[in-house]
Amino acid sequence: MPEIDPTEHEIADLGPEVNQIDDEQELEEMLALEKGGEARDAVITLIENRLDDVAGEAEDVDPAGADLTEMTIADIANMVREVDDVDVLEDILDREQDGKDRKGAKSQIESRIQSLEGDDGEETEVEYVPPEEKYPDLDHPTADKQYVEGTVDGDYRDMWVYCETQQGQLVDVSREMLGQARHLMDTYNTEGDPSEGQYGGDEDGNPEEVVAVLIGDGVSELAEECIAYGADRVVYHEDERLERFKHKPYTEIFCHMCRDFEADWREYHEPRYNIFPATNNGRDLSALVQGELDSGLASDCSDLYIESAMISNPAKTGTPGDSKEFDRILHMPRPDFSGFEYSTILCIDKPHRDFHPQGASVIPGTFDMPDPDHEREGEIVEHDLELPDEWFDIEIVESDRLDDGVDLTGNDVIVSMGRGIADDPTRGIELGVELADQFEEADLGLSRGVLTASYQFDSHVEQYVQMERQIGESGQEVEPDVYIAAGISGAVQHKVGMDESDTIIAINTDTDADIRDFSDYFIQGDLFEVLPQLTEALEEGDFAEAVAEVSDD
Amino acid sequence: MTKHEHYEALVVGCGPGGAAAAATLANQGVETLVLERGTDAGSKNVSGGLLYGEKSAPYTLDTLFPNFREEAAERPVGEYYIHNVAGRQVKTFDLHDIHHRDTEWCDAVLRRKMDSWLADRVHEMTRETGGGLLTNVRVNGLLRDGGEIVGVTLDELDPITADVIIAADGVNSELARDAGLMDWEDPEDWFQGVKAVVEMDPEVINERFGIDDDEGVAHLFSGDLFDGVRGGGFLYTNDQTLSVGTVFHLDSISEEQAEPHELLDNLLTHPLLDQWFQGEYEEREYAAKLVPDSKKVAHPSPHRGRLLLVGDAAGQMQAQGPIIKGMNHAVTAGGLAAEAFQEAKTRGDTNAAGELYERKLEEEGVLAKLRPKRYRATRAVSESSIVNKVGNAVLDSPVGSVGLKAAGKFGLLEKSFNSPFVLGMIPDTKMSYAVIPERIGEVMGTRVTDDNTVEPPELDDRIGDLTYDVDDPHIELQDNSFEASGTAVTACPVSAEDFGGGCYREETIKTNGGQEKVVSLDTQPCVECGTCAVVADTHWEHPSGGKGVEYKQG
Repeated sequence: MPEIDPTEHEIADLGPEVNQIDDEQELEEMLALEKGGEARDAVITLIENRLDDVAGEAEDVDPAGADLTEMTIADIANMVREVDDVDVLEDILDREQDGKDRKGAKSQIESRIQSLEGDDGEETEVEYVPPEEKYPDLDHPTADKQYVEGTVDGDYRDMWVYCETQQGQLVDVSREMLGQARHLMDTYNTEGDPSEGQYGGDEDGNPEEVVAVLIGDGVSELAEECIAYGADRVVYHEDERLERFKHKPYTEIFCHMCRDFEADWREYHEPRYNIFPATNNGRDLSALVQGELDSGLASDCSDLYIESAMISNPAKTGTPGDSKEFDRILHMPRPDFSGFEYSTILCIDKPHRDFHPQGASVIPGTFDMPDPDHEREGEIVEHDLELPDEWFDIEIVESDRLDDGVDLTGNDVIVSMGRGIADDPTRGIELGVELADQFEEADLGLSRGVLTASYQFDSHVEQYVQMERQIGESGQEVEPDVYIAAGISGAVQHKVGMDESDTIIAINTDTDADIRDFSDYFIQGDLFEVLPQLTEALEEGDFAEAVAEVSDD
Repeated sequence: MTKHEHYEALVVGCGPGGAAAAATLANQGVETLVLERGTDAGSKNVSGGLLYGEKSAPYTLDTLFPNFREEAAERPVGEYYIHNVAGRQVKTFDLHDIHHRDTEWCDAVLRRKMDSWLADRVHEMTRETGGGLLTNVRVNGLLRDGGEIVGVTLDELDPITADVIIAADGVNSELARDAGLMDWEDPEDWFQGVKAVVEMDPEVINERFGIDDDEGVAHLFSGDLFDGVRGGGFLYTNDQTLSVGTVFHLDSISEEQAEPHELLDNLLTHPLLDQWFQGEYEEREYAAKLVPDSKKVAHPSPHRGRLLLVGDAAGQMQAQGPIIKGMNHAVTAGGLAAEAFQEAKTRGDTNAAGELYERKLEEEGVLAKLRPKRYRATRAVSESSIVNKVGNAVLDSPVGSVGLKAAGKFGLLEKSFNSPFVLGMIPDTKMSYAVIPERIGEVMGTRVTDDNTVEPPELDDRIGDLTYDVDDPHIELQDNSFEASGTAVTACPVSAEDFGGGCYREETIKTNGGQEKVVSLDTQPCVECGTCAVVADTHWEHPSGGKGVEYKQG
């Protein structure tokens, strides 16, 4: 029997307790108890995580005997970093070749061997000193970061595009980026002139892909659309806890997809290119992901293209005085000094340190919206990762959507009030609301004139007199089945917001009002008299009859 | 102090004054940044449309910018007439002499085309110096350090500092006002102009005006066309349009509660214009602007610290009777301001640029043209109402008519209209704008028998045809009582009485037990002319960069 019976405790109390326990046996028993009891997901995850940790600590892998097929490339990278014996490394390399033969894993092992043996006699003019030796005073030398040393001469492929969603839809910039990525990779995969970005695929002549990344709640539904806009492959992770953008889980998931996610199709260490939208969330995510992957980021880019680049910077070439051509370089122009100048950012590997993925965030609207091709085919892959609860420590307790609090589109009927209500503004709004209430899907709209007037409204109608109800050029554009314009003259600024409506009924005292020209029915009369009649007729029955009746007057 | 981005010279506004300043600075290798709030240079700018190259001017656009006249201007204007109108009676004088006096050339221009052409060159030239032209940015004030002007603040960008700031930001210059060099207080200091650009086929223009492809005409109109409001009208021929407009004293528009768009329509529909329209009328654009009356507001010392004012921002707009010259003075002033900075720099004290600029304006005779001493000397007498009454009485008497006829017979009147000396004295009274021309027309005129059938667009259509990028309101009504701000309802060129689609609207609201007449404001149709800043109680600013109205003709 364990010391603590989890079924007797709240989750919040269990966390600190469980993390104190070092005994695997005891944890297993607790897990069994919980599963036999309420089987709370969070508690199970908590105990399982602790189990993993404890087990990991206990079992110090012996490199000489490790089962490589059970290990990820990252695990292997961590392991070989500790090994100083070249023979052991050679043995590991042989076993990997006989086993899974992963290119990424082999390059990790090879690079470790190389770093122990030194370069084969080539004159390395810039001597490499590992960061921890070079800066012994730093309290966290870069090498402590797990992947810095891991990304040397790595294997990189594909252009990954983070497809942001809002309200269950792709945001436009996601589509724009997919279109541009498609274009770039089509060129990239074409045999031809490298200076034009044509490489005929990867270093071995195999084509590379556009990989769309979707993270969120229910995002798998958008996968087909990503393919239609240009993706060859969609990797998605959905979880209801991902409904809103959150730094921690989104970053962890994205990085895991890029680096640690083992799947048949990705035999490479990390993506070659990562593209993000320069939206609020995209800027956030791009910085975190590229930081975690120990690469760079060009933010707010206004163009992207791939070509080769001649570089003479010795930090990159390794040899002072020499120029070296780097190929497959993503060129990332971005505005400087508030758009007054542009600079093109290149993210280039240097000796002993890779800068991949080459990452960029793209200003929305930079690229044209592509036409979707719904016939396109692609692979859809679900990303598989258990999301620990501590990634969700931040809880969104309240949220507010700005600006479009009132959405007038999608109504069957809109009753719109104009400056014809001037004689008694409060009564005018009341009449409009009463009429709108007669329909199932109906709402009240206002002309800009009402909203910018000095009318005094009684408090009970004030809630309706809001900018967000404005219809027209600077407000909403609506096309309901029936649009009733009461006391609206119909200036062109109003017209553009409503003249796609199926049937337009105008009520105005002025027979010369412009709105008459684009109304289906024009009722000459005072809205204070006409609206109550319409409301009454609707209460009794047929609206069409009522309109006919009133307009015959 | 925080380190800001720094340039040797900042030029605010890329109209002719700013362009001339920037080009001159760039020619001297001064690192120059030009800031323009329009989405394109010229998109915020309106002028009547005649640009003079004066023989006496030290700087003209055709010398600063090769091929300017061929590529950026409309037709060269060689003929210049004034029509004195009394009902259907019209007497026309040829103002050839005054038009050609000191004139090397004179072209009709449309500002969108002209200013954007200039801007392209300005960008190229200033870029060579390490600067350039930036559009869509609004300079909203001066940056000071310890009370000294050191740069500008902007809506869109962080503050920028410079050794000299040349404010060519137009009649509603926010920099001139920030520096305390200009205000919007007195309607007497301003004219308001409205203009319609009217479509007309080039061959039709040639035929109806009796000119060739590379010729143009200017007509001025005065008399009883404008319901007693002091001002006049003009018509200039462009390549494939006409610029037809009216310009009035703002105090007179205010007093008479005149509707500027209706006064423009008075001109457009006058029988005299039928010879040119012949029943056809297609309006491309309606526009308006304030015009400073340089006789009153041309600043004799248009600088403060590192800030130098150029063009309309300094009130440098010469309007004396039929002489209407503004852009050319702005060009000269821009060139002189740049020259002054370069000289001050050579002498090792860039802070002396303002003083040098002021001296140059004086020495080059610019100020003398803008603020003639004769006007100041005679104004007290000629604008007094007793003198005007006597004048009226004399004109109406048989003796007066005989006098006019006699004067007309000997060409004396035509001669005096053509005399800069007489024009410099012309008082700003109803007598000189309406009464005398009307009497001239009445007594000496011939009758126009044509009927003008054109129907200019209603105000709501004029507004509807303009292009706007509407932003948050940039004008706030400080006092919405009718007493304080009611004049704007009529004086604003895009507002009118009983018109709900304009900026300013009169409303009666019920308050506890009583009624109150108030004014409401919607800045959506605003054309940023600045009229309401003068006649109403407002807090007036320009919209942010690229926002607000966008003129396609200008």
